[in-house]
Amino acid sequence: MAERAAQMRKVIGAAMARSKREIPHYYLAEDVSLAAAMGWLAEQNAGRPITDRLLLAPLLLKSVAAALRRYPEFNGFYRDDAFAPAEAIHVGVAISLRAGGLVTPALIDVDRKDVARVNRELLDLVARTRAGRLTATELSAGTITVTSLGDQGVATVFGVIYPPQVALVGFGRPTERPWAVDGGLKVVPVITATLAADHRASDGHRGGLFLAALRELLQNPAEL
Amino acid sequence: MNRDELRIAILETLSGIAPEIEAGAIVPDKLLRDQVDLDSADWLNFLVALHGRLGVDIPDADVGKLTTLDKLVDYCGRRL
Repeated sequence: MAERAAQMRKVIGAAMARSKREIPHYYLAEDVSLAAAMGWLAEQNAGRPITDRLLLAPLLLKSVAAALRRYPEFNGFYRDDAFAPAEAIHVGVAISLRAGGLVTPALIDVDRKDVARVNRELLDLVARTRAGRLTATELSAGTITVTSLGDQGVATVFGVIYPPQVALVGFGRPTERPWAVDGGLKVVPVITATLAADHRASDGHRGGLFLAALRELLQNPAEL
Repeated sequence: MNRDELRIAILETLSGIAPEIEAGAIVPDKLLRDQVDLDSADWLNFLVALHGRLGVDIPDADVGKLTTLDKLVDYCGRRL
């Protein structure tokens, strides 16, 4: 077990060193209200059995996929001195392993599946990760990576791009924060969404538009 | 099923989700997710597995209350 963890640390180290050596990263962050998303989830889950319970993560993944449809320069690979956009949107999901290290298996065609299906596939992906039953295809299929710290992490995460991908979207821990709404102050659940992107494939202006699109998409969870 | 049997069933189910954990080291009245480092997907997989094993219904409104091993044992005991 310790040997496997050491081996994994080496592999991660090599990929991340390459990333930091070769990829000119830029970083953006945006706070996003989750009031609508959490409200929608509560409404949905009130009528669902535990076996069909929806998590927040699939909404976040769907919003990333929908924003990528509008801003394709964040989805694909930088190879041979050129950016090649990917047709499909396969979202690599960073899953940390308790024995150390992490894997980023991909959810396939996230833009073409509904929230309930992405939810099911995510639960299955996490279960198979724990059981060590991921396929080689899944482990290398990602066209972008999402790291979501869930409800136990810190508030903000800035990721390191997984080469040859050109972007990584990070979600911190949702927190209750004071938030201006219609000229008044309310306490709402807020999540910090970040983008680490490759300057060879895009620039910060487009990155900002991408995060703004993501923010708007999360205000209409029923449409995701 | 008495409380001890229930406790064992719950811990076995947990071990199925997170094979690395040491079930014997879990403090029953401390937050379970803090002790075993489960993310939200693991936690839901655990509750679904518990539902499958014990046949206990867990409505959404109750999910947030099931924070410790003791509370899980109480809850499942009442609803078996």
